[in-house]
Amino acid sequence: MEVVKRGKLALTVCSTSFLGLGRAQQKALGVPHMPIVQIPHPFGTRSREELREIANRCVEDIAQALCEKNEQQSEQAPSTPMAAPRALSFEVDNDLEQINRLFIKKRWADGQLIAPPSVEAVKHMLRHTPLAPDHIVATVAPAMGVATVEYIAIQAVMAGCYPEYLPVLIAATEAVTTPAFHLQAIQATTNPSAVGLIINGPAAHWLEVNSGSGCMGPGHWANATLGRALRLILLNIGGAWPGEMDRATQGQPAKYSFCWAENEAASPWDPLHVERGFSRDESTVTVVGALGTWSMNMTAKKGEEVIAMIADTMQYPASSDYIYGGAPFVVLSPQHANLFHREGWDKAQVRQRLWESSKMLAGRSKGNEFDRLVNGRRGELGPINENTLIPISEKPEDISLVVAGGTGSHSVFLPVSAHTRSVTKAITFHESVSRHEP
Amino acid sequence: MTQRLSVYEPIAPCLTAPNANPQGLGQLQGKVIGFIDNSKPNFELLVDDLSILLTERYGVKAILRQRKRSASQGASVALIEEMVSKADAVITGSGD
Repeated sequence: MEVVKRGKLALTVCSTSFLGLGRAQQKALGVPHMPIVQIPHPFGTRSREELREIANRCVEDIAQALCEKNEQQSEQAPSTPMAAPRALSFEVDNDLEQINRLFIKKRWADGQLIAPPSVEAVKHMLRHTPLAPDHIVATVAPAMGVATVEYIAIQAVMAGCYPEYLPVLIAATEAVTTPAFHLQAIQATTNPSAVGLIINGPAAHWLEVNSGSGCMGPGHWANATLGRALRLILLNIGGAWPGEMDRATQGQPAKYSFCWAENEAASPWDPLHVERGFSRDESTVTVVGALGTWSMNMTAKKGEEVIAMIADTMQYPASSDYIYGGAPFVVLSPQHANLFHREGWDKAQVRQRLWESSKMLAGRSKGNEFDRLVNGRRGELGPINENTLIPISEKPEDISLVVAGGTGSHSVFLPVSAHTRSVTKAITFHESVSRHEP
Repeated sequence: MTQRLSVYEPIAPCLTAPNANPQGLGQLQGKVIGFIDNSKPNFELLVDDLSILLTERYGVKAILRQRKRSASQGASVALIEEMVSKADAVITGSGD
C-alpha cells in the first residue's frame, strides 16, 4: 500500500482465504484498485514441487496485472478532506427483541443482547465529555473507521455502559490506536488476540471496576460493559468481524469483554500507571494485546520457587514473545507480590529474575517455527543455533507486572500478540458533570 | 400499538481518500521487479521460482528482494524507499 501511495505500481500475491481481508484493507488504506493475484490456501504447508506448480500458474496473472492499462483512473482523491460525519439515525418499533434481531442481522452487534443506541441515550452519554460529537478521536484499524466521540458513545450505549464511563472509552480508543500498540495486527491476525483494559487510579474506585477476587470474570457492571464497549468499537468502527477482517482461527472468550483494575491497595509496589510516569492521583487506562490467560498456582514460602514456576510457564515454542522479542504481562496475585516484597525485591528485581529464568532453548522450536525464531531475533541476538538461550523480551523492562485479584495463590501470565506494546493513556473526566454515586 | 424509537446505525465510515493507481508497465522486458518477502513459510521459495520465471519467460532485467522481520509488521520506510527508487513495480505477499 505504501508503495502505491508513493506513485509506484504494486501487486499483492494473496492466499485465497485472505482475499476478503486483502480487498477490504486496500479500500480502507486508500488503494482500492491495487491488483491481487490469488494463490491457493493454505500456502505455507505446500511441498517444494507444489510451490513450483503454483509459481507456474500464477506468473501469467502477475505479468498480466503488471502490464495492463488501469481502467479505473477516474477515482481521484478529493481536493479537500472529508468532514467528520455524524451518525445516521432511523426509526424502529420500540421492541427489544426486534431491535436485537435487526442489529444481529446487519452485523452491528457482538452476539449478545444490546441496549438500543437511541438518540436520547446517546445524547445522555455525550453529556459526560466536553468534546463535540463529531470530534475525531482516531481512526480504527483495519477498516480505518472514524472514531468520533459520537460513534464511541453509540458503542458504549449498546454495551450497557453508564454514561460516566465514556471518558474511559475515549482514552481506550486513543490507546489502541497508538502506533506502538500495532492494532492492525491484533485485529487481523489468525492468533486469538484480545484487547485487555486495565484501569488504574481513583476512577477504578469510583467507577467500581473490580480489582479483587474474580476481577477478570463476571459479576461487575463496569468490568463487563467497559470491556464489551471496547470490543464493539473494534467491531463497528474497526471493522474486525470474525471470519472477515478478523482472521482469528478460534478467537477466545476475552474478545467479548476483558477489563479489570489493578489492586493498588493490596500491592506493595507502585502501580502500573505510576511506573509509566503518571501520578498516583491520575486515572489511566492501559491496553494490552493478550493471547490468553494462563493461571499459575503455587503456595510457596520462597520467592525463588514462584519465580521458577512463572518463568517455566512463560516458555513455549509457539510464543510470539520468543519469536520476535515481546512485551508480556504478568498479573501477580497479592499473595505472590507480597511474598516477593518480603524477600526485599522491588519490581525491577522481579523482572530481572523472571527475564533470566525464562530464557528458552532455541531448539525447542522446530521446523518453520525455528526459522521464524531465527529470522525474528538474529538482528538482536546474532547467530542463533539450537543451543542458543532466547530471552522472552529484548530487555527485562519489557515485562510488565501488575497486581490484581483477591486471596489465593494464583497469578496469571498474559502472553501477548506479536510486536504489540501495551499503551497507557490518561482518562480525562469532565469536571462539570457530577460523578455517579450508587 | 408499539411506540417508535429513533436509533443510530453504529457502523462508522472510513474517510480515507482513494489514491490513483499507477499505470501498468505495458511490458516486463527490461524492467526491474522488487519483491517484499513477508517472511511467511514458503513465500521465500515462491519468490525464488517467480524470479526465475519472470526473468526467463518475460525478459525482466533484474529482481530486487527484501525480507520483512515478520508478516504482521509493515515494511520499514527505508525498505519501501529503496524499492520505490530502484524497482519499476513491487510485489508483496499476504495470507498463510
